[in-house]
Amino acid sequence: MNAMPRVLVAMSGGVDSSVAAALLVRQGYDVVGVTMKLFEDGAELPDRPCCSLDATSDARRVAEQLGIPHYVLNMIDHFGRDVIADFVAEYARGRTPIPCVRCNTFTKFSDLVAKADGIDAPYVATGHYARAVAGELHRGADDNKDQTYFLWGINRDVVKRMLLPVGEMTKAETRAVARELQLPRVADKAESQEICFVPDGDYVQILRRELGDTAPALSPGRIVTTAGDVVGEHEGFARYTIGQRRGLPGGSADPMYVVALRPETREVVVGPRAALLGTHLSASGVNWLVDTAPRAGDEVQVRIRHRAPLAPAVVDAVADGAVSVTLRSPVSAITPGQSAVFYDGTRVLGGGFIH
Amino acid sequence: MPQPPIYLDHAATTPVRPEVLEAMLPYYSAKFGNASSAHRWGREARAATDAARERIAACLGAQPDEICLTSGGTEADNLAVLGGWRVQQGRGRAGIVSTPIEHKAVLESVHQTAREGGDERLLAIDATGVVNLDSARQHIRGDVALVSVMWVNNETGVIQPIAELAALAKEAGAIFHTDAVQAFGKLEVDVRTLRCDFLSVSGHKFGAPKSIGAVYVRRGTPLAPLFFGGSQDRGRRPGTENTPMAVALATAMELALAERDAEVARLRALRDRLQSLLTERIPELVVHGRGASRVPHILHVSVPDADSESLLMALDLAGVAASSGSACQSGSVTPSHVLSAMGLPPALGASAVRMSVGKLTNDEQIDRVAALFPEAVKAARAMAGRF
Repeated sequence: MNAMPRVLVAMSGGVDSSVAAALLVRQGYDVVGVTMKLFEDGAELPDRPCCSLDATSDARRVAEQLGIPHYVLNMIDHFGRDVIADFVAEYARGRTPIPCVRCNTFTKFSDLVAKADGIDAPYVATGHYARAVAGELHRGADDNKDQTYFLWGINRDVVKRMLLPVGEMTKAETRAVARELQLPRVADKAESQEICFVPDGDYVQILRRELGDTAPALSPGRIVTTAGDVVGEHEGFARYTIGQRRGLPGGSADPMYVVALRPETREVVVGPRAALLGTHLSASGVNWLVDTAPRAGDEVQVRIRHRAPLAPAVVDAVADGAVSVTLRSPVSAITPGQSAVFYDGTRVLGGGFIH
Repeated sequence: MPQPPIYLDHAATTPVRPEVLEAMLPYYSAKFGNASSAHRWGREARAATDAARERIAACLGAQPDEICLTSGGTEADNLAVLGGWRVQQGRGRAGIVSTPIEHKAVLESVHQTAREGGDERLLAIDATGVVNLDSARQHIRGDVALVSVMWVNNETGVIQPIAELAALAKEAGAIFHTDAVQAFGKLEVDVRTLRCDFLSVSGHKFGAPKSIGAVYVRRGTPLAPLFFGGSQDRGRRPGTENTPMAVALATAMELALAERDAEVARLRALRDRLQSLLTERIPELVVHGRGASRVPHILHVSVPDADSESLLMALDLAGVAASSGSACQSGSVTPSHVLSAMGLPPALGASAVRMSVGKLTNDEQIDRVAALFPEAVKAARAMAGRF
């Protein structure tokens, strides 16, 4: 009978979650591994980073080697509803979503926590590069790999139940542990950079499937300058995001960037680089991970994109589920739909969806 | 885990019997010859393989030349359905009649015939999981090449009206195949009394190793082979004969028959007691096939408000091994096609768990499972909620 508490580890078959599981076993926890099946199409595509039979069998082999039980959990309905449907809807609204944020909020650190409750596991663990310290979330030790940008939406009460074994490590250290433990296949696996449910990065295919080819977001429209001059045609505003250069007509003196999307008129608005800079942002759907939320006048640090530098800012206003800040220096390409995540040093204060 | 885990998945597979292992081992070492070779090693293997075939035939009431050895139940089903239908299609009959509750090995083969031009008709199933005979009378007509209906459904354990269906098929001049994989060793399976043309059995369901089975082929029934190659097994199934496995199958079948009556009584008592203990503790439990005749070893239930996956996980962590119906295909998350065909609401279909008793099961285990089950249900129901 294991005296240590039980922990449910989400194992994707990748090196980070495999090493997380291994470290917990080494620490003596009663570890139960699960792989979440989040969508149906994975099986036909070999070597997909997540969800395919290959990834599941990798997770299974690691679990077998570690001597822990392993289960495949069907979360297709919930994931489809909470993550994929929102992903599609955001693009249709001219915004650029980050599905990983919603997955962490609703799937990994909500649905999976319910599963943990069901098997009497007080803890849930993942291979995220982040740290949970005294009930608060902190950035991972490897600043290059820190994944707290995607974790702002989780329920505060879950943080004290999180075990994040690789949060203190660098990616190189994680791979070294994988090799040292001789975990089958995972040590030198390619990183999964893409969105798990988007084959080959072609998210437009998903939009076409869900919205139909004649949806406004996928229909032709005008490319206009901030002054209102029409400079070209596009094949659907959902193909663009703020700050993008690719896919725009050439020929102007200064390089042109997407500065806004107007879904009501199906226009893609372009401007010079300077037009991308902003000093103000508002966020909605805000979730705080600390007991005392920041107030107007407080200094915070903001990230408006994964791996963007921390930008110093001052809080202008905090209302129910909303916050607005003024950035001390201009920041480029503040994108509706992306996340604004607020930090105080390594502490993750919380975050919200950029308006 | 303080006590040894409990295996309640005998319908998925069974341990190899010691007598079976002992009987087959010499054919992996001293008597390793290829049964088709002309020399003494070959003759020895030939004699053993032929003897095994005779014994298998005797267990089914058949003649030795009517036994075609295969790699298991799936191959036997494929050979019967595709091999039987393709010949008949060549003679102008394209109809193929089956049921939506068949094992995938039959159902997918039936779908394949449809892709090859077959006119696929699936019979209606009533709410208790039995094939509807009116539906059969309606669909089994003179244009039907082959009818395939399983003797016992592998998920619910419900026994199908095979004798009547065989009679209807023969009247219409069609070939009749039955997948007897869950029937052999539990019911009387005798091709002298059942008018079937093809019949499938699978060794690992009754103490033989995995990857050995047989399809019975009534004399005079044409069969198009699936494999091409040598002329083994009268050209029906090319490939070097698996002598040790043939011996294993024969031995396991004989043992199963010899103890059948006693085992059936013992298993029925165990299953019925488990059923009664569980329904007592969980009054809302739905027992599938209860209104029909079932084989003695299968108990298929649905637990409202708990999904199969969570329940199986909770049971496994508590040391009880059960299944959701069909062990095939890891990662598959589709709900039971059998329960859907019975008209069960999807929520109940997704909360089904199959427990099956067998050689390893005893009374003490039944008591322990009955004690653990309500906790597992509670856990599974907790997992369904959003945190």
